Amino acid sequence: MVDSYLGVRLDILRRAQNPDGGWSYYTGKQSWLEPTFYGALVLHGEPAADRAWSLIKSWQQPDGSWPPTADAAISGWGTALCLTLAHLRGDIDGTYMKGVAYLLKTVGTESELWRRALAKIGLVNPGRDLSLKGWPWKDGTSSWVEPTAHTLIALKKAYAILPAPELTERIHSGEALLLDVRCKDGGWNYGSPWTLGEDQRSYPETTALALLGLQRRAEAGSSIELAKTWLPDTPSSLARAWITIALRLHGVEVPDTLNPLKGPGSPDLMVVALEALGSAGGNYRFLKTEKA
Amino acid sequence: MKIRRRDFFPLAGAGLLAGYAGWEGVRSRRNAPAGPSPVVVVKASSYSDDLAQRILRGVRECGLDVRDQKVLLKPNLVEFDPNTCINTDVAVVAAAYEVFRALGAAEVIIGEGPGHRRDTYSIVEMARYREISKFDDLFVDLNRDDVSPVMKFADRAEMYFPNTALRADLVVSLAKMKTHHWAGATLSMKNFFGLVPGSVYGWPKNELHHIGIPESIVELNRIFRRSFAIVDGIVGMEGNGPIQGTPKPANVLVMGSDLAAVDATCCRIMGIDPAKVEYLRMASEGNLGNVEESHIEQRGEKISELRTNFALIESFRGLRLS
Repeated sequence: MVDSYLGVRLDILRRAQNPDGGWSYYTGKQSWLEPTFYGALVLHGEPAADRAWSLIKSWQQPDGSWPPTADAAISGWGTALCLTLAHLRGDIDGTYMKGVAYLLKTVGTESELWRRALAKIGLVNPGRDLSLKGWPWKDGTSSWVEPTAHTLIALKKAYAILPAPELTERIHSGEALLLDVRCKDGGWNYGSPWTLGEDQRSYPETTALALLGLQRRAEAGSSIELAKTWLPDTPSSLARAWITIALRLHGVEVPDTLNPLKGPGSPDLMVVALEALGSAGGNYRFLKTEKA
Repeated sequence: MKIRRRDFFPLAGAGLLAGYAGWEGVRSRRNAPAGPSPVVVVKASSYSDDLAQRILRGVRECGLDVRDQKVLLKPNLVEFDPNTCINTDVAVVAAAYEVFRALGAAEVIIGEGPGHRRDTYSIVEMARYREISKFDDLFVDLNRDDVSPVMKFADRAEMYFPNTALRADLVVSLAKMKTHHWAGATLSMKNFFGLVPGSVYGWPKNELHHIGIPESIVELNRIFRRSFAIVDGIVGMEGNGPIQGTPKPANVLVMGSDLAAVDATCCRIMGIDPAKVEYLRMASEGNLGNVEESHIEQRGEKISELRTNFALIESFRGLRLS
C-alpha cells in the first residue's frame, strides 16, 4: 500500500531523476552513485530504476570497482551498493563477478601486516583487533563502520549464489570487526570506539548501519534496544530513516507515528530516498540478508 | 554546468594564478607575503555585540577588496552538541554575510562539508544557521556538490574538490578557535578540511589523515590561496577539541588575508607557541605565510592583553608558549 508519506517521496524522486538516469544529492546537480542506488531501490520495478542501473553499471572501472560519480576516478565503497543492486535485479554476469573480486581483495589499511606486527609487539595500542578485516571508503585508507556494513550486505547476498569459502571468511571477519568496534554504550561511532584513550560516543546513523551489517546476529540485541530509544528523539532525518530501516530488518515493528515528517523535510534527495525505503510500504526488505 | 577535467585548467585560467598552485609550482616560487602580514584583532565579548561592525573594520584594515567577486564563506560546522561550542557561531556567519554583501561582492555563498556527520542539513538546523535569511538559497553542501579534479595534492596525483569552492574568487575561512587532539590547534587553515568532499572520500575524510594532517592543511591552503580568515574566538574550545573539549571564552575576532599569520596570532592568544605547531612550521618553511611575530603587523588589540591560556591535552602540553 502506498501511504501519503511514501507517496510524497516517490513523487519527489520520480521528478528529480536526471536525464542520464541517475540522481544527484540535490536537485540540479550531477548524478552520483549513492543517491542513484537508493533511488533505484525505492523505484525498483519501474523504468526509472532500469535507467538508473544502466547508467551506474556503465561506470564500472577496470579493477572491478565503482567510482562515486562518473567524473571521479576513485575506487571505493560504492562498489558494494552496485553489487546489491545487481543482485536484486538478477544481473549476475562478469561485471558482478569482477565487483565481488574487488571487494574480496579490498581491506582497510589498519589490517596491513606491519601494523599488526607493531601491535603484536606492543609498540602501538590500536584498541581493536587488527586481524579483523573491514572495508574502507576509498582504496588505501582505513576501514570504517559504514562501508563495512554496506559490503557485508553485498557479500552476504553474493554468498547466497556463490557459497565460496573466501566469502564466508570475509563476511565473518567483517561482522567480528563490527562487534569489536562497538562503543561501550552499545552503539557505533564511525570507526574506533575510542580516541586517545577516551571513549567515543555512538551515533544513531552509524549504529543503524552497523545493525544492517549484523542482521541475524544474536549479539546485536542490546544495540537494537539502544536504536529503539533513539528513534523518537533523534533530530536528523537521515538518522531516523536509517534507524527505521535497521529496526524493520531486525523484525521490530516501527509505528509510522514515530516518524514525525509527513511532508518533504530535507532537500537532500538521498534522505528522501531513505525515508521512502524505510516506510511501512517501502522496499527496505531489499537490504535484508541471511546468515552466511 | 559540469566542469570536466580537460576543462578545468582553461576555466581556472586567471584563477590558477591567484587561487591555485600545485605543489611543484609553489615550492619553487617564493610567494610568502613580501612584507609583514596585517592581522586585525578586535574584542567582542558576546555574540550579541555588533559583529558586522567589527568584521567590517577587520576587512577594511586588511585592505581587502571584494567588489564583483564570488565569495564563499566557509564556516566550521562539524557536528552539534548543546553542551559545548563546536561550530562557528551563527551570529558570526550572519555578520560576515552582511559585510561581504555590503562591500559589493557579486555573490556570497555559504558552504561547508562537515567532516563527521552525514546529515548536513540536520547540523545546519541544530546550529541555527537556518535563522539566516534565505539560508537555503545561499547554502551549498560541499560534501555533495559537483566536483572537479585538481592535479597533485601531496603525494596524490589528483584530488577532487567542490566546484563551488574552485569557482570562488575568494574563500573566507570562518573558523572557530579550538584546540585539536591531532593537530594541536584548529583555526583558519585547518578549517579547509571542509572543502574536501565526503561524497568522494567518505565520512570522516580519512584520506587526509593518511596523507598526514599537517601536510593536508598546507596543501589545501596552497590550492585555495585567494582566501581571508575570520576566526571566531568569542567563545572557543579548549582541552580535547575539536569536538569533546570545553568552551573557553577568548572574547576576540581575529582577521587577515595571510591565514598562517592569523593562525599564529590565534595561537599566541591561546597561549600556544605557533613555532611548535607542525602545520604552521611547515607553512612557514614552505613560504605559505608569515608565522614569526616580527613578520606580522598586529592591528587592533594587543595580544599581551588578550592572552588566555587554552587547556591542552597531555600530548600537546609541550606547545605551551613560554
